[in-house]
Amino acid sequence: MSFHHLDRWADVPSPVTRLAPTARLLGTVAVALGSALLPVGAWVQMAALLLLVLAFAAAARIPVSAFAARLAGPLFFVLLASCAVLVLAPGQPLWVVGPLHVTDTGLVRFASVVGRATPALGAAVVLVSTLRFPELLEALRKLRLPSPVTAALGLSYRLLYTLADEIERLRRAARSRNAGHGAAGRRHRTMGIAAAALTRSFARSERVHRAMLARGYSGALPTLRAQPLDARSVVALCGVGAVVLVVVSSAYL
Amino acid sequence: MAHIPDGFLSAPVLVGTAATSAGAIVATTRRRARLPEQRAPLLGALTAFVFAVQMLNFPLGAGTSAHLLGGVLVAVMVGPWDGILVLFSVVLVQALLFQDGGIAALGANTLNLAVVGAGGGWLLYRWAFALLGADRRLLAVGLAAFFAAVSIGVAVSAELALSGTVPFAPALLAVGGSHVLVGLSEALITVGILRMVRRARPELLAGTPLPSPAAHRWAVGTTAAAMLLAAGTYLASARPDALEAAAARLGLSGADASALPSVASVPGGPWSRALVGIVAAFGCAWLVFRVSARRDRAL
Repeated sequence: MSFHHLDRWADVPSPVTRLAPTARLLGTVAVALGSALLPVGAWVQMAALLLLVLAFAAAARIPVSAFAARLAGPLFFVLLASCAVLVLAPGQPLWVVGPLHVTDTGLVRFASVVGRATPALGAAVVLVSTLRFPELLEALRKLRLPSPVTAALGLSYRLLYTLADEIERLRRAARSRNAGHGAAGRRHRTMGIAAAALTRSFARSERVHRAMLARGYSGALPTLRAQPLDARSVVALCGVGAVVLVVVSSAYL
Repeated sequence: MAHIPDGFLSAPVLVGTAATSAGAIVATTRRRARLPEQRAPLLGALTAFVFAVQMLNFPLGAGTSAHLLGGVLVAVMVGPWDGILVLFSVVLVQALLFQDGGIAALGANTLNLAVVGAGGGWLLYRWAFALLGADRRLLAVGLAAFFAAVSIGVAVSAELALSGTVPFAPALLAVGGSHVLVGLSEALITVGILRMVRRARPELLAGTPLPSPAAHRWAVGTTAAAMLLAAGTYLASARPDALEAAAARLGLSGADASALPSVASVPGGPWSRALVGIVAAFGCAWLVFRVSARRDRAL
């Protein structure tokens, strides 16, 4: 496993990848905030933000099928989570599903939740597809995210898939020994795997620390390739910000 | 629904939770500004661990399974401040890279999972540890994991209700109720993992200071006060009290009867009454603690 399946379009030359990582991250946050600020039932504005995101996806040369496939997973969870809104919101009953009533208010709120979530998820998909993790980390550093957090993020990037692979190896080893019968046995086996992963995380962190000291680590993680926030990126970011501002303001006027 | 996606929360709730979380993270990083250099790899490894272990499903029986939230587990292992930073890093990576939890809702998710889950969970752990004693550490961890998960459910319900997405009562029933089950599984998994870690590498859990006698007294006092408050609330009758009944029997008007001071006359509705109750409970606990501490000094 590796992160490289996420940022497959980071090396594709496009107007999006030419922008500074900080501008791309801030643009994503602007779209996510803009869609979250839209009131219930602002369908035109939700569609406008989605169009903006689709335009950026096209500019980044992400194929429609790949974009849709990446969007489908998180959108499915949003749909699953927002189903409860259909029956929990008070209002006039439209349909009866067993003991539950789908209400008119619930239907509007459900559609609004999905409508607001889709542009935000789409923007995040464009960001992740076109930005390498070290660039994202550098952007977060430039945005003054506390250094302990960026240090933890940087090192977790190095270790995340290593640990995931290690957990998979532990599971395979346990299965090959027929460890765990029934729910209680499987639970005990999974707890054992998690405990082993936890102790190995501590041991690995000690080894990584020694290796970092050997390479001259003195408390700060260096950046190999810092991309400055150039004029083109500032203009693009201001453009996205202005569009989002106009769209959100139009919903309240 | 521990990770709230974008679209569920209103602007004031997004701003409020973001401001609260930012304050908590700034306070935490100030405490950890001079992070010992060997802690950075440890935080990275634990962030990766929480992220990876959340992909594991623990069978619970009857065809159900659950995954670990990890706040109390991490806080017990490395302390509350590092625990908050680890959980914040996890929430950030999940939102940015895997769209698990919204980017705009990052403040709310940080508040729920890092501040309440890890920070609040650690406070609950220290409280239960001081109350139960050093021999029942795992039981204290289990209680803390359960109540931290339930607190996360209550926080999510409150945020959804304040946003006007769903009313509070059904949200509490649906989200809070499901988090009671999540809490049970969280307690079971956390205790199970820590028991195995204690067996394999006991030195990893040796850093937690044992509760002092003063902390034990404080925990006993607050628990007694909280139980008294809960019992009082449960037993409180909606019927008129003796003075009100006597006033009604003597034919005094409602206005005269309501002139008598009562708990119900605290201005501001049920929220302020709840606040007054909590402050009174902790005030009582503090008094009990002070009196018992003075007796100890005198002996």
